Amino acid sequence: MPMSQDQLWYKDAIIYQVHVRTFFDTNADGIGDFRGLAQKLDYLQELGVNAIWLMPFFPSPLRDDGYDIAEYRSVHSSYGNLDDFKGFLQAAHERGIRVIVELVLNHTSDQHPWFQESRKSKDNPKRDWYVWSDTDTKYQGVRIIFVDTELSNWAWDPVSKEYYWHRFFSHQPDLNYDNPAVREEMWNVMKFWVELGVDGFRLDAVPYLVEREGTSCENLPETHAVLKELRAKLDLHYPGKMLLAEANQWPADLRAYFGEGDEFHMAFHFPLMPRMFMGLKLEDRKPITEILKQTPQIPGSCQWCLFLRNHDELTLEMVTDVERDYMYDQYARDKHMRINVGIRRRLAPLLDNDRRRIELMNGLLLSLPGTPIIYYGDEIGMGDNIYLGDRNGVRTPMQWEGGWNGGFSSADPESLYSPLMLNPVYGFQAVNVQSQKRFDHSLLSWMKRIIKVRKSTPVFGRGSIEFLYPANHRILAYVRQLDKESILVVNNLSSTAQAVELDLRQFKGNILIEMFGRNIFPRVGELPYLLTLGPYQFYWFRLRKI
Amino acid sequence: MAEESILTDEFLRQLIDVGEADVLVGVPTYNNAATVGQVVQTIRAGLLKYFPRERAVIVNADGGSRDETSNLVRGASINDLQHSTDLNALRTLHSISAEYAGGPATGTALRTILASAELLRVSACAVVSPESTTIEPEWIERLLRPVYQGNADFVTPLYRRHKFDGLLMSNLVYPMTRAFYGKRVREPYASEFSFSGPLAGHFLTQEIWVNEVGHTGTEIALTISAITGGFRMVQSFLGVKPRLDARSADLIDAMRQTVGALFWSLEPNFSLWSSKGDSQPVPTLGGEQEVTLEPLRVNRKRLLAMFRSGVAELEPVLKSILSAPTLAELQRIAALSEEEDFCYGDELWARTIYEFAASYHKAVISRDHIVQALAPLYRGRAFTFLVENRDASGEQVEQNIENFCLTCERLKPSLLELWNGKK
Repeated sequence: MPMSQDQLWYKDAIIYQVHVRTFFDTNADGIGDFRGLAQKLDYLQELGVNAIWLMPFFPSPLRDDGYDIAEYRSVHSSYGNLDDFKGFLQAAHERGIRVIVELVLNHTSDQHPWFQESRKSKDNPKRDWYVWSDTDTKYQGVRIIFVDTELSNWAWDPVSKEYYWHRFFSHQPDLNYDNPAVREEMWNVMKFWVELGVDGFRLDAVPYLVEREGTSCENLPETHAVLKELRAKLDLHYPGKMLLAEANQWPADLRAYFGEGDEFHMAFHFPLMPRMFMGLKLEDRKPITEILKQTPQIPGSCQWCLFLRNHDELTLEMVTDVERDYMYDQYARDKHMRINVGIRRRLAPLLDNDRRRIELMNGLLLSLPGTPIIYYGDEIGMGDNIYLGDRNGVRTPMQWEGGWNGGFSSADPESLYSPLMLNPVYGFQAVNVQSQKRFDHSLLSWMKRIIKVRKSTPVFGRGSIEFLYPANHRILAYVRQLDKESILVVNNLSSTAQAVELDLRQFKGNILIEMFGRNIFPRVGELPYLLTLGPYQFYWFRLRKI
Repeated sequence: MAEESILTDEFLRQLIDVGEADVLVGVPTYNNAATVGQVVQTIRAGLLKYFPRERAVIVNADGGSRDETSNLVRGASINDLQHSTDLNALRTLHSISAEYAGGPATGTALRTILASAELLRVSACAVVSPESTTIEPEWIERLLRPVYQGNADFVTPLYRRHKFDGLLMSNLVYPMTRAFYGKRVREPYASEFSFSGPLAGHFLTQEIWVNEVGHTGTEIALTISAITGGFRMVQSFLGVKPRLDARSADLIDAMRQTVGALFWSLEPNFSLWSSKGDSQPVPTLGGEQEVTLEPLRVNRKRLLAMFRSGVAELEPVLKSILSAPTLAELQRIAALSEEEDFCYGDELWARTIYEFAASYHKAVISRDHIVQALAPLYRGRAFTFLVENRDASGEQVEQNIENFCLTCERLKPSLLELWNGKK
């Protein structure tokens, strides 16, 4: 299947997020690899996704799940080698699936040769590739991100007897982007992967690249300048490649990462995600509409990235204290479910494995403005293991079938990189791809259908949104529009049946065509359009004037 | 023919939009624009502060106001179109307003609020007066929390009042309700109170709605219904109750709404009150009734004059209501020339009320006339109360009220004799 040549391809993408380690193991070492990922591309094509976001797969001591990179131009030996990656990339492209790789620009592992050089002496040529100081009092007041583990953003290096700056773990020293050599080298890293054929980059932790005294050291103009420089080079030499920002910030602060269409193509909408869960639990659209109303307009070539769950905790940094307490109480009563400022759980357990709520949330994900990201395993309703450390509970092996190791690996179960889910509800014998493929009404089959419907029109990826505000606050309704095509989306956030009257006078004369069954609903007239919706039910209607 | 709904279609449509709720605050209004805005804003603040996660709604049942009352109530809504960001509200708060049928009547307003509470399946419902300008956000918690937590079915208020405020309450309604029904509910006729969802359903099935008390005097009828239904009661201290202008013309209405409803309730509840012995205290939360002592001008001379003229002019009526000794005693004190000598004491006043209650039961004359005839006598009693407590401390005033209550309880058997007697 040929890939679209449209340079705005990311607007129509359905992205599947996966770590190569978790997906499929072909060499029986208990760890997923690129050959395994390539073997499962047919599954992803069948699911309907057309882009894969690969989490860091570079050589690393793996003290932060690969986000501590020790070599930028290679593949971690557990996952294969560069040729395996190339084989995977080619196979993906042959299926019309683009590949987005993840780069961590802000910091390296302390095992990276650059840092090893840098710490050798104060006059080492690589010394100023990192941020060093003879005192730990610089940049006072800058927040600590990993509050559960770190006491300071400075760490003492006993080798060179100075402090080094780290916004994340102390084994992840921050690179010094004031140094032109660092900027040039990171561009060369990107160039390396683009030359291999990757279609875009998810750039991790971008707000923290540059430090300045007296500031929060986040979102600084100097950081944006670095990012714009990279984007300009990418556009000049490799048009059509995409940059996706990971910046866990409020919408107003995020806006700057799009620049004037000259910085990032896409950015995650972090504040929206917890509010979708909040709106569902409150049975009230207010949290969702409010945050989207606060979301600034972005340049026409840019796009928001939406997600329900990912490899990290369900972050609660971008909510108020009242909202955070509510979220903890509703979604993470067990302290094991909490980490840092968030909740380490997968989609299905968060929603009590309620199929109706899982469908509704996916319906929102796929119909709100933006490019949706599906976290691996959520399409079959995989569970989590909150008793594993860090965020490893949401990174367990993909569950392919009910047999040995859930079909993930032929290795001894004890040698797997992570224990499989075993419990009777979410374990691989109950939740797996093979069994769900057999039934038309499985979650997997339903996911295929909704993705297909989503892809049947460019409106969802590219259209505008206009909220309707029916008096019934349990109903979240909006119209997506692109050129002359209009789609009405009506969601019942409530656990009970609801009636709603919609003011559709602007569409008077249109008939409504339900997009899943293609059934015709009555024509829109002058009077409020009455709909009834069952618990957590949603409709997507194409508006047609015939 | 199907019974007509008490909820208008417009009201019903708004209730559909609200959907199931956890807590409801009802505000009955009629042309209350001067005060209702402040009251609903405080209710909203209370709901946001103390019930931020609960599905809450403010329901205004309006008697057809021609001022800005309804708009002021609706202005307290919080939704994705209309909200104040500094409120930090988690969810939508509906503040709805609709006119009920039949013109202004407190009973209809309360029934509308009760019906709303039942339809929305709320766990706790409070009623707040649109004139309670001293309301604090804490009132909402103190009214709703005991019910919402399942510790009570009915919450009546305790206030900080001036010692001469609410004389009808302290000299008649409270002592008599307590004597009749055995519960020491200090404010049985309250403009603020709360109740549980099941109790709302119970209220709606009561006979009061097809009687006069279902239109006026509903508040006390609900209190009595909660007592006689065996529901768990709690008194909650709210704070300062604003003093309303007491116009003499209002007394007859007040008597109808309180004494009329109280006397009316004795009929269907005879078996219950006739077997009740000593009264029992009602648990209180947040403090006891408090009194304030600042100087207050009261026209005592007028009270006494109206008592005297009432006893004289209503003699034929009083003859049919009161026993001969009681009437003679009233005529004796009415004839006293010196104010200082006048005393309408506890025992005589208690006996007077009981004899009125028995006559009401027997309907010796029009029941409404019986209630009206008590008004001048009450004025005489009020005069005595004011004189006796002129220099009294708060504690002394409370003790005097308590003494009168005990007198009423002691003399209650006399009512039973009268109830079943020929005269």
